[in-house]
Amino acid sequence: MSYVVQRIAFSILSLFILLFVTFLLSQVVAGDPALIAAGPNAGAAKIAELRQQMGLDQPIFVQFGIYVGNILQGNLGTSWFTQQPIARDLMRELPPSLELVFLAMLINLAVSMPMGLLTARFAHTKFDDAVRLVVLAGAGLPVFWIAIILQQVVAGNWGILPIAGRLSFSNRDFSGATGFYLLDSLMQGNLNVFIDTLAHLALPAFALSLLFTAVGVRITRTSMINEFRKDYVTLARAKGAGEGRVMFRHVFANGATPALTVFGMQFGWMLGATVLVEEIFGRPGIGRYAIKAVTQSDIHAVVAVVFVVGVVFLIANLIVDMLVYALSPRKQRAG
Amino acid sequence: MRTLWTYARTNVERTALILAAIVILLAIFGAWLAPFDPTQIDFRARLQAPSWEHLLGTDGSGRDVLSRLLHGAQITILSTLAVLSVVVVFGCAVGMFSAFVGGPIDNMLMRLADVWLGFPPLILALGFASALGASLEAAIWALIFSWWPNYARLTRMVTVDILSRKFIASADALGVPTHAKVTRYVIPNAFDVLIVQVTLDISAIMLAISGLSFIGVGAQIPMPEWGAMIADGRSYVANGWWIVLAPGLMIFLTAFSFNVIGDMLRRELDPTSRRRQP
Repeated sequence: MSYVVQRIAFSILSLFILLFVTFLLSQVVAGDPALIAAGPNAGAAKIAELRQQMGLDQPIFVQFGIYVGNILQGNLGTSWFTQQPIARDLMRELPPSLELVFLAMLINLAVSMPMGLLTARFAHTKFDDAVRLVVLAGAGLPVFWIAIILQQVVAGNWGILPIAGRLSFSNRDFSGATGFYLLDSLMQGNLNVFIDTLAHLALPAFALSLLFTAVGVRITRTSMINEFRKDYVTLARAKGAGEGRVMFRHVFANGATPALTVFGMQFGWMLGATVLVEEIFGRPGIGRYAIKAVTQSDIHAVVAVVFVVGVVFLIANLIVDMLVYALSPRKQRAG
Repeated sequence: MRTLWTYARTNVERTALILAAIVILLAIFGAWLAPFDPTQIDFRARLQAPSWEHLLGTDGSGRDVLSRLLHGAQITILSTLAVLSVVVVFGCAVGMFSAFVGGPIDNMLMRLADVWLGFPPLILALGFASALGASLEAAIWALIFSWWPNYARLTRMVTVDILSRKFIASADALGVPTHAKVTRYVIPNAFDVLIVQVTLDISAIMLAISGLSFIGVGAQIPMPEWGAMIADGRSYVANGWWIVLAPGLMIFLTAFSFNVIGDMLRRELDPTSRRRQP
């Protein structure tokens, strides 16, 4: 139990530091917010009044308190560019990005787990060396470059998958309750849209997953290889357990835990890496929103993206750590 | 240099060493080798396919792609080195301090490093770019800002390990002062682990810098930075594939080479990787 409390306390501490960093970021650039809010024709008295209203005459710690209060109420400020509440913008942009990241993560896990297990089992063989080489190459691929090439070759020249966007033109009227089109289309029983969404997701998700998969295979291999050395594996083999049983029932179940923690961190990093692919594939999403905000010098929108991605990262890690804890047979000792 | 070469066991590792050496040489001498001015615009010569005059063709503004690649090597290597040198020095200082002090301060610093590692560097760099204005310097600062905890944690781990060994107890008994312990025992012992990490990070930082330049918050066009070149070439990719292909291949080959070298160094230097001896 104490572990769970500690872990949650750590998340809250992290959230606080995240808030402080984003607060500082927005302070550094914003100029004089009262001057901007008052507009070009406002007199000195009006500006002074606004400054007082916005708490700008208060010490910086009080201002930080106001900032935290606003965010806890779901107020991330107003975008200078779209003139919309940023929180509403982000609620619209987050689902397509999360959908992309989920699929990329699925590809990552589907490749990393078995490859990591196999390379650990057959460590230092020709097979292991070959996979290592592929992994080292994958970890050197510029995501945005491979995305452009995939788009040109697979979608452009071969015409197998759609070039860009989230849905085909014929499905342009589709909308759903959650904003996750894969989920919405299934809930509405619309298989056509489901497949269309998946086809549009395939290339960007694959491109996004490459670098992370390369790291994932290595991490899984490292944590599995330690398991194969342990006494219980020798014991299981001595008892006559088949190699398949040793690998899946024993090694995989125990060795997956340290790797899981890394996959949890990868989730947040992937969300950050959407800035590299969404723009190329013309997909709406938080990455494209962030780039647009930077080019428009829309500082509050950029800071809000930093904050939201940070929060998703914290939540993903918390969930994974809780999962690892719940699955761990050793927790009785710890609690 | 000789030692590095003797570490190499496969042809891939030898090739990687040669490629890395070439890239470093290009970073030093590339600007002299370039046949054209990398920023000279010539609209009459735009989008020319690779030929004997322009070995890698010309880009959408008629600039020579090869000359841009050669100049770009310097930008890429120098900015990667800039990030790494600051990050290693600062991160190691924090890590050693943390290990020597111990107790609650150590605990707090490492928690801070844990939280810090959570920020996705690309997103953080976007924040920095909007604060400092998009430029190569802003991208470098952003990466420094987000990368140092890696080294703080690694150095702390290694230092704690070294401080727990017997020869440190003997040194304490002899009254060796702390600064001497750091320079005589900790740094030499931590060096092998650090050099492996640095080599592996070269490719990660290179990719991050080129990625930032690609999305427009790092080096700005017409600067011949490789990521910015890809961003610039994207609009012409249908009738000028070489503009995008060449810089991407350079990034890939450089990053791949350093990955292979890092992996090789880990096998040879890192005592924790128990690779069977030949």
